[in-house]
Amino acid sequence: MAKGRPEDIRAVPVRHPGRWVAVAAIAVLAAMFLHAMLTNGALHWDVVGQVFTYSTVISGMEQTLLLTVLAMVLGIAGGILLAVMRLSHNPVLSGVSWMYIWVFRGTPVLVQLFFWNFLGAIFPKVGLGIPFGPTFVSWNYNDLMPLFTVCVLGLGLNEAAYFSEIVRAGILSVDEGQAEAASSLGLTHGQTLRRIILPQAMRVIIPPAGNETISMLKTTSLVSAIAFTELTRAATDIGNRTLYVIPSLIAASLWYLLFTSVLSIGQFYVERYYARGTNRVLPATPWQKVRQNLSTLRLRKPVGDAS
Amino acid sequence: MTTTEPMVRAEQVHKSYGPVEVLKGIDLEVKSGEVFCLVGPSGSGKSTFLRCINHLEKINAGRLSVDGELVGYRERNGKLYELKDREVALKRRDIGMVFQRFNLFPHLTALENVIEAPVRVKGEPKQAARERALALLARVGLADKAGNYPSQLSGGQQQRVAIARALAMEPKLMLFDEPTSALDPELVGDVLDVMRGLAEDGMTMIVVTHEMGFAREVGDALVFMDGGVVVESGHPREVLTNPQHERTRAFLSKVL
Repeated sequence: MAKGRPEDIRAVPVRHPGRWVAVAAIAVLAAMFLHAMLTNGALHWDVVGQVFTYSTVISGMEQTLLLTVLAMVLGIAGGILLAVMRLSHNPVLSGVSWMYIWVFRGTPVLVQLFFWNFLGAIFPKVGLGIPFGPTFVSWNYNDLMPLFTVCVLGLGLNEAAYFSEIVRAGILSVDEGQAEAASSLGLTHGQTLRRIILPQAMRVIIPPAGNETISMLKTTSLVSAIAFTELTRAATDIGNRTLYVIPSLIAASLWYLLFTSVLSIGQFYVERYYARGTNRVLPATPWQKVRQNLSTLRLRKPVGDAS
Repeated sequence: MTTTEPMVRAEQVHKSYGPVEVLKGIDLEVKSGEVFCLVGPSGSGKSTFLRCINHLEKINAGRLSVDGELVGYRERNGKLYELKDREVALKRRDIGMVFQRFNLFPHLTALENVIEAPVRVKGEPKQAARERALALLARVGLADKAGNYPSQLSGGQQQRVAIARALAMEPKLMLFDEPTSALDPELVGDVLDVMRGLAEDGMTMIVVTHEMGFAREVGDALVFMDGGVVVESGHPREVLTNPQHERTRAFLSKVL
């Protein structure tokens, strides 16, 4: 044997026969399920396809997306504000934040939606003026708050209460030494929060934030209860009219699944962005993983042979 | 020295956490341009005292001033008024601090760590701040690590970036809180070399340390603290080689 660096180890990897058995069993079950779904005439797949692209469903889907985006923007902005208020040394701010969270987290979102919708019955006119004195301008509540605005506010204000707790957890997860280092450099409280604490808190905030967004996508279906037509409402309307109830719901579900998938992919990349600096190596993207797996499959062949 | 006013003056400084009194009346003066070493067993209050100097901790009694101005308060007609957060932040610009655990900002590269405060606090143009930061990183021997994140640097390298970050604010006083205690023995030397260079350039430094060799070689004054009081003070060579107090002798026999 010549001295020097020994050859690279090319060992036979551990075999996992159990995995192959499991894959086979799952494949059979999946095939049975698909077969049952596709051959069951009651599901009317042709109708599912038609409902999926029907004009009212498409516009309902657009409303759902718009509601989700606007409610989340309101929820995130409000949530950050509430979390910062809650952690403030100012007892008035933290008290107000506590009250807000107590009310909005303590009552069902459906009840809140009804409340915003019927507030016009209690306060038909809304005006600006001197407290207990004359009013300068006033509006009809129902003009000021069209149904869409009611939906966005109802969902967004409720979301803010939940999101504030997520942000607060993120802020508390950042080491105290970070704030000390920042203030010893002369950064103000606000600068420390914006530049140092929040960017690090994002790592903790993103996974539950993705969860909340996906949850919001589906919670928007609640606004059908106050007669706003979004995806679920549009689909059930067709179902009620044509009696193809299940196919219509499947079509709506496919839209929800599609958007949930897109959001999950987005979440992965956002998480990856905020992991920079904390992980020495960034997690592989799915595409990189596929390429890795393919190359190890190719490597497995020559195991043991010398060439 | 022509200036008569000391850089730091402490008179009967007391500090308690609830019922526990950590500082029980500290009197000392740090002259401008001096390397002032604080040594003593853990729990003696030396780190707490250091943190009082830039108002990370509030003192409960006594007087503490930096460059002739009270720390954290304004005195008018014999009455003390608390400073606003902004005013405290303004004073901290001039006092650099280096922590035992580095406390670099992990989401920023070494260069971004250094330019953050000059750009955000002083409003220095980014390009100018970058050039100065690169020069500072070169000075601590890390010119080639500017683009690395803290997690990609060794402890000694991180601490040297932390020193560069503090220097970027051009402070008149540098506080070091056990800067080498969290480092592998092999990496201590690089950090001490940087600090030695700073001392030679005339920076006023207060150093909490267990590195007696550094204290003896670089220090201009040394205070031995125990149980929240100053037990013994003097020139490092005198105190370290010929301690007068029994407690000092017992401590030094263990660490030297």
